[in-house]
Amino acid sequence: MTTATLIHYRDLLIELVQRDMRLRYKRSLLGVLWSLLNPLLQLAVFSLIFGLVLPLNIPHFPVFLFTGLLAWNWFQTSLVEATGAIVDNRELIRRPGFPTVVLPLVPVTTNLLHLLLALPVLLVFVVASGIPLRLALLALPAVLAVQFLVTLSLAYGAAALHVRFRDTRYLLGIALLLGFYLSPVFYDPAAIPAAYQAVYRLNPMVSLIEAYRALLLHGQLPAPGPLLIWAGIGAAVLLLTVRMFQRMSVHFAEEL
Amino acid sequence: MAAIHVQQVSKSFRRYDRNRPFTLQEAALRGFRGLAPQDAFWALRDVSLQVTGGEMLGVIGRNGAGKTTLLRLVGGIGLPDRGNIRVDGRLGALIDLGAGYHPELTGRENIYLNAVISGLTRRETRGVLDEIVAFAELEDFIDSPLRTYSSGMQLRLAFAVAVNVRPQVLLVDEVLAVGDLGFQRKCLERIQSLREDGVAILYVTHDLEQAQRSCDRLIWLNKGRVAASGQPAGVVESYRSAIHHSTQQNTPTAAAVDDAGILELNVNRFGSQEVALSNVRLLSLAGQPVTTLPPELGLRVCMDWVAAQPPRGEVIFSVAVHSADGALLSEVFSPPTTLREPSGQVQATLERLDLAPGSYAVVVGAYPADWAYAYDYHWLVYPLAVETAPEGKGPLRPPYHWD
Repeated sequence: MTTATLIHYRDLLIELVQRDMRLRYKRSLLGVLWSLLNPLLQLAVFSLIFGLVLPLNIPHFPVFLFTGLLAWNWFQTSLVEATGAIVDNRELIRRPGFPTVVLPLVPVTTNLLHLLLALPVLLVFVVASGIPLRLALLALPAVLAVQFLVTLSLAYGAAALHVRFRDTRYLLGIALLLGFYLSPVFYDPAAIPAAYQAVYRLNPMVSLIEAYRALLLHGQLPAPGPLLIWAGIGAAVLLLTVRMFQRMSVHFAEEL
Repeated sequence: MAAIHVQQVSKSFRRYDRNRPFTLQEAALRGFRGLAPQDAFWALRDVSLQVTGGEMLGVIGRNGAGKTTLLRLVGGIGLPDRGNIRVDGRLGALIDLGAGYHPELTGRENIYLNAVISGLTRRETRGVLDEIVAFAELEDFIDSPLRTYSSGMQLRLAFAVAVNVRPQVLLVDEVLAVGDLGFQRKCLERIQSLREDGVAILYVTHDLEQAQRSCDRLIWLNKGRVAASGQPAGVVESYRSAIHHSTQQNTPTAAAVDDAGILELNVNRFGSQEVALSNVRLLSLAGQPVTTLPPELGLRVCMDWVAAQPPRGEVIFSVAVHSADGALLSEVFSPPTTLREPSGQVQATLERLDLAPGSYAVVVGAYPADWAYAYDYHWLVYPLAVETAPEGKGPLRPPYHWD
């Protein structure tokens, strides 16, 4: 792949992400606040339930929860949107010379932007809870990069599969709903019995959410082992799903 | 050098079982059977062509002959099953103008988005932005959302982007049939000037006259194969005669001779006779039978049709005036109609002839709506003379006066 192609792909990604951001915020009163509203409402409901109804007694619960929510929402929304990346962009697929391989990147990037827009609010929560901001926070981009890789590797698979099987979206929705409870969004993974820990940790979001919390709650660098493993697995799966995507993409125009 | 190389390309489309599962659920329930294609049909067979920079190659052929498939493959949409396609240079396309444009975004935002989609970088887009806006004549509206544009303005914008992204290879799919005449002319001029700048153009069209006028060479696709290629005049001629010929092949050999005794199959009458025309009368507008008319008067052509089994599809009737040596002067078509009865009558009224004095013939026909062949076609059977026209030269003689 030449540099010129890479520059074009980058510009294409920028333009498509901009399109999605603009469309989301145009003609809406709340504008960018929309990307905050959803996690804040979730935060309010979960705080109510697990602070008052079923108290979990986790210190700094709002920060704990908000961290989990932002990470999980990025993962979930990216995958849901990536599933439609091909079928919802029919007119782009049919444009001569259009590189379809860019499309699944768009929702993962767009939702990363939403996370970054919400990040200042999270930091306000951190400071308000009396947690000091430590230098370890500088490692945040690395953790985000691992999650990006893992999410993207699944996004390519979901996008390609959905072209062929149109119920992929619903099945994925069910899987993500279960995944939400199987990820430590609102509870401490230490509460999972030791016997199940090995299986439980097959979910990449466990290590990722733990890593975010290490940075934000404890001001510590996360254990590098699991992150490196997931980065490796993510890269390998990405190669595989991108190749599958490319092989299937020659038929996309016919299948749509 | 910009160019398109297509070498012995074949393309098949997979045909699947009608019950092919469309969801994972169904597929799983059936143990993932029935997913493989059952058979394939060949949309293109051994097609080779070359377009070099500065050249415009036209592709003609019936519907379903593979023209659009060819255009798409050259555009990189799908891969050929066999053969090679190479496109040197940046690809541009006048296909589906307006796809990819979003009503909520402003003209400027849409230009950026679509120029980049068409292959420019953002920096390059900045460079041609003013040119695009000027060509589209939208300077005053460029920061308004596209939904506030008229459809003509939207089309101008889409075309302006498509031709200003500096394509070196351009694919054109009959888009020029849209928009007002002034805009169409501007588009055609622009395409010609791109050709002069060395752009290689592949142009798919149904318009034979247009193809003959603007293309350097033509290829004629028939059922996915190249039936002829070369000089436009020659290819158009063989295409026309093949349509004529396929009409002849559909003409029964039984000597069905018309009631008047003047029609003879395969001599001056062609067609499958699924819909047969008979009793063709030339009338004045007042309803009197005529064989001679002054040019300022009109002509009514009235005919009966018989279809023992009315065809399922729609039917088009035609009435034409040819010169005595067979040159077409004017041909008009009925709107496509469904025949619901075994027989009926149809008439065309030409309000005025405006022809110079001379001998002419009226030619009538009936066709299926896809023009695949003729049901019936009466060639130079009905003579018509134009007389007592005022002095003048040339084939047309509208009424005139000098003051």
